[in-house]
Amino acid sequence: MTTAAATTSFAYSHTVGFLAYRGRGFIHPIDLTLGDDGVMYVLNRGGPESVGRLEHKRVCICTVDEGYIGEWGTGGIEDGQFWWPSGIARSADGRLYVTDEALQRVNIFDPDGVFLRHWGEAGDEPGQLNRPAAITVAPDGTLLITDGLNHRVQRFTAEGEHLDGWGEFGAQAGQFNTPWGLCCDVNGNVFVADWRNDRVQAFTPSGRFVGQWGTSGDGKGQLSRPSSVAVDDGYIYVADWGNERVQIFAPDGEVAAVFQGDATTSAWAEDYLAANPDESRARREANLAPAVKPWRDHHRETSARVEARFWGPTSVNVDSQGRIYVVDSCRHRVQVYRKTN
Amino acid sequence: MTLTRDAQSSARVISLADSETVRVAHLLRRAGFGPTRAEIERAARQGYEATVEELLHPEEQPDLDIEDLIRRYHVDQNSLMLLESSQSYWLYRIINSRRPLEEKMALFWHGLFATAYGKLNHAKAVVNQTHTFRRHGLGKFADILLELSRDPAMIFWLDNKDNHKDAPNENYGRELLELFSMGIGNYTEDDVKAAARSFTGWTIENTEYMSIRASRDSFWPYGRIDWQFRYRDDDHDDSEKTFLGHTGAFNGQDVIDIIIRQPATAHYIAGKLYNFFVSDRPDEEAIGILADEFTRTEGDIRSVMRRLFLSDFFTDESARLARVKSPAELVGGTARLAGSHRTPEWSIVNLAMDVNFMGQEILNPPTVEGWHTGMEWIDTGNLVERINAAGAEMRDTARPGVRAVLDRVKSSGDTLAPRQLAEACLDALGMVEVSDGTLDSLVALATPWGEVRFDRPENAACAEERISEMLQLIVASREYQLA
Repeated sequence: MTTAAATTSFAYSHTVGFLAYRGRGFIHPIDLTLGDDGVMYVLNRGGPESVGRLEHKRVCICTVDEGYIGEWGTGGIEDGQFWWPSGIARSADGRLYVTDEALQRVNIFDPDGVFLRHWGEAGDEPGQLNRPAAITVAPDGTLLITDGLNHRVQRFTAEGEHLDGWGEFGAQAGQFNTPWGLCCDVNGNVFVADWRNDRVQAFTPSGRFVGQWGTSGDGKGQLSRPSSVAVDDGYIYVADWGNERVQIFAPDGEVAAVFQGDATTSAWAEDYLAANPDESRARREANLAPAVKPWRDHHRETSARVEARFWGPTSVNVDSQGRIYVVDSCRHRVQVYRKTN
Repeated sequence: MTLTRDAQSSARVISLADSETVRVAHLLRRAGFGPTRAEIERAARQGYEATVEELLHPEEQPDLDIEDLIRRYHVDQNSLMLLESSQSYWLYRIINSRRPLEEKMALFWHGLFATAYGKLNHAKAVVNQTHTFRRHGLGKFADILLELSRDPAMIFWLDNKDNHKDAPNENYGRELLELFSMGIGNYTEDDVKAAARSFTGWTIENTEYMSIRASRDSFWPYGRIDWQFRYRDDDHDDSEKTFLGHTGAFNGQDVIDIIIRQPATAHYIAGKLYNFFVSDRPDEEAIGILADEFTRTEGDIRSVMRRLFLSDFFTDESARLARVKSPAELVGGTARLAGSHRTPEWSIVNLAMDVNFMGQEILNPPTVEGWHTGMEWIDTGNLVERINAAGAEMRDTARPGVRAVLDRVKSSGDTLAPRQLAEACLDALGMVEVSDGTLDSLVALATPWGEVRFDRPENAACAEERISEMLQLIVASREYQLA
């Protein structure tokens, strides 16, 4: 494993996205799930929830090489509509599941985005939900959901029947404080971004605690409000939301890489700039990476000033080709990195 | 219960608590937002003077403890790209901050140094300015003016990015003197020109690109980019200037140093603080006291505020319930009292909209002069808005603040006659002073209900409904609309 770590490298690839309320682009994207052949389903949270802005809430479908396919969904409280969409997952048969933290439910769509049904109700009893955050499909086809303000993980069948769950509020092993992202490895082990405990916890498929990564802070290997976790070949990818970065832990537990964000202009962005030559010229002449000294909240305020950096990374995913997708929520884009062995 | 006379309405004022409680309730209303009965009791126990000191040192209290939750649930309040998102964020701060005077001072300085989203098309830039007010709002006035002069939103708002060595733009220099420090009539046109020349070269990074984006409201391709202050020595006019009788090769800092020593500045800022915290009706003697403190302490705002809060003109019964709450005070304070939005909820934007509908678009004041306050907050249209918004907060008995009020009222006794019910509800809401006319009206409205009883479970639901109705009536009262 050590050899593998020593010969594995990570590098920035390119950026996908552009700020758009509808159509080709994203508005406050919060999560994505991957389809076949480089297809991405990007879930847009939008917001605020005021008149005229609800239609921004949607799923945008595109490819990793910046092909736009289409979109579906809108804001609202009717069947299939979103209010606070948070997590999206795709099952082996192509169905898409979207959690909603305001409506306390999970929507099921067919591969074309046609609403099938939803389940969920507010509460803290088994099977009930209080801000369902992330969702993932386990290798056995069951669904795992972080139940944020119930501070637990719950498991459901693909049709929404409650199976089991674990966790309670706290900071001990196996406890949670407002968990957010989660994922499974190929063996069904579960990794949870324990958001307000500044750590990632790992569990067996049945929910037995097996280990954790991170302590509070912004040093190497430390975490601040991790929002998302992905695993691949023993590597653990963490969206270190409060530190505005992504950290990658190697199988030996050491930090293999840290990304602060390297965004370049996407093809969609280039189209905009080509159509607005005066703005494009001024942009070329501007210093988009100025030295900054924010007096408060250093990481976030730096990201607000340096456009290439991550600002609010809310989701990290890895595909079978070693591409790492980081949803950059406040910059309305996805930054793509690549792992090479 | 004691009776006095309301100076404005000639109605008799009924005190429902001891004099110290009445005084601290007044202090907490003016220095903060929607104090709860428990907070009033705590302040009364520690005493008026000790409470003043606590308020004057917000840095000794923890900062907002739900900032991470706000950003997590409201991605739009992480980016603060949109005006409604930014207004909602400020309401969260008003409701949840443990530093009430810090927020109140930020609102005061925002009204005085009114900078509007409408021209900037950059909401976070205005939010950043309010953070500067939180940080320096109780500090030295010289520091406030210096930070304001370096503030990108202000530089953009009053065109100082266009103030060049070879082509001065007087906008900021003029408003610095007219609206931000001395007031009209205390300087000459030559002073305006000298001030403007002193601030040449005080600009923002990437001026041209940011100006193009702002002018066309472009947030493409990837959202707003925060502006940064930049001093360009090569664009600064370092020639000799004469400003308010002083001559030298002044830079902006020198101009500020001269401004804060002017008696007119002391009087102007004292008058603004008096108007915001004490009364809409100027009192030259009181303003003179505050101006003297400003001069004595070389513009230390904390000292001036201490003098204000400890003065008879502030605590006197004629000053109490004599100021109309601004929409932000009314909405934020009522939500705070009701205990809503302690955990982020999507509906915070509705509160922000309520404030807008009542005529106060925070972060987007109508002009560089800010808002006209006092009775101008109330007309027949927005009075209905004010009453409805406050009533809606009190209607939901599941809210923890409303729940606390209900529990306190219930503890008054198993059976409450209409007058007892009205008095208990007023007291539980922290309204420890009320006119006899208002109390009589509440009693008259409650009389058809008969006695409210908590003695049996089957009566409890009905009793809670009555209390909720009474609370909605109270927040519609004249006294609740005042501070």
